[in-house]
Amino acid sequence: MILEAVKYLAYVLIFPGFLFCFLTGLLLSGIDRKLVARMQKRVGPPILQPFYDFFKLCGKETIIPAAANRTVFLMAPLVGLAGLVVLQLFIPVFSFTAFSSVADVIVILYLLLIPALSIMIGGGATGSPYAGVGLSREMVTVLSCELPLVLVLLAVCKKVGAATGTGLCFSLTEIVRYQMANGSLLGKLSMIPAAVAFLMVIPGETGSHPFDAAEAETEICEGMLAEYSGAPLGVYKLSHSVKILSMTSLFVMLFLGGIGGGIQNLVLALGLAGGAAGALTILLDVIVLFLLCVILTAVAISFVHAVTARLKIEQIFKYYWTVVSALALVSLVLAWYGL
Amino acid sequence: MFKKLIEESTGKSPWLFHINAGSCNGCDIELVSVLTPRYDAERLGFKLAGSPRHADIVVVTGPITAQSLPRVLRSIEQVPEPRCIVTMGSCPQSGNVFRGSYSICGPLSKYVHVDVDVAGCTPKPEAVIDGLALATQILQEKRRAMK
Repeated sequence: MILEAVKYLAYVLIFPGFLFCFLTGLLLSGIDRKLVARMQKRVGPPILQPFYDFFKLCGKETIIPAAANRTVFLMAPLVGLAGLVVLQLFIPVFSFTAFSSVADVIVILYLLLIPALSIMIGGGATGSPYAGVGLSREMVTVLSCELPLVLVLLAVCKKVGAATGTGLCFSLTEIVRYQMANGSLLGKLSMIPAAVAFLMVIPGETGSHPFDAAEAETEICEGMLAEYSGAPLGVYKLSHSVKILSMTSLFVMLFLGGIGGGIQNLVLALGLAGGAAGALTILLDVIVLFLLCVILTAVAISFVHAVTARLKIEQIFKYYWTVVSALALVSLVLAWYGL
Repeated sequence: MFKKLIEESTGKSPWLFHINAGSCNGCDIELVSVLTPRYDAERLGFKLAGSPRHADIVVVTGPITAQSLPRVLRSIEQVPEPRCIVTMGSCPQSGNVFRGSYSICGPLSKYVHVDVDVAGCTPKPEAVIDGLALATQILQEKRRAMK
């Protein structure tokens, strides 16, 4: 009983939980900044720059605006970060899952909303007009991303469900297991439009260029963050980085889960005994996942950031509800007809 | 250990907030050239912040006109501690060619403690980077003195 509790505590605090999110998330956003700099022919900040930013912000004074609600102002960033850490617990690392349930895809869909909600509530609590503008834009961005995201997840669930004979499979663990046995979903022709749509959703969900109208620092002073300073601002920046990790690792698990099967076969081929084999599998899983996340960050966030300018909010909405949703819908229809 | 980490980081991630106090736009453009690819101050961790609450270093340009003075002071007050104030160009230091005008309230050092002055009309980007690097060191010392 106590052992069980310690195990779950370790899950939450160390491995798929807080510490893992903290390190990999900030590292990913550092790599992103460096890549963008190199694409713009700059030297760029060191890869550890987000760590410096975070610790510096921890050492700054926290000013609470007179118009703000103190409790909400200080608690909102923590709620957002906690939501992301819990989200990471539900996303498997190939063969390893901290928490798995029958319908974790739906739980993930809800958990993805919590960071956006927390930033809206926190920003709204400051009473700043910049935050008001940012809040309304963030709401529209979240709404635009939601439809294609749901369609993509439905397409994947239908595809796996049809193949395993359960109708709709809402378990992410099952989806990864199916891919480990039958090869990645990215290799299936009908799933390619959904994968492309998901790649387009990543910059929108993480609020990076060209979909960062909500946090436009040049026009509305980073919107909802305008009044934040010190450690709460650092926590928001951290959540932003962790969200990159969540979205990219979700992509890996939905469309590239088959790589986990390759890792398992590799460990089997080495012919190790029980405990050592398990440890080696998890280690390789984490390393491969991180490398894939780096590649996805480069493709979906850094490259797009370097070549595009910020879109207006109505353009974002239109883009997501037409182009991206149509791509996802194509996959859904194909999956429905068993292709 | 945590305190040391914060101290180290303070020197490596100074965010700038730029206030134009009636400047002729010459210094403003020169500051932009410091941050863009040719001189790329981001490699030292510098970043232009949109809100004074995110900033560590306040860069003031222009001769502090009577209209801008209360706004400049109010913006500076909103920067959380530890903070550094850097004046850029000759205007905020001496008034430059606008000296003696009825609409000028400068120099800035009459109203707030100025940490670094970068003189010139306009200063070269190299001089600006040098001044900002000096301000970063002062920032680190201020952080050390806190608590």
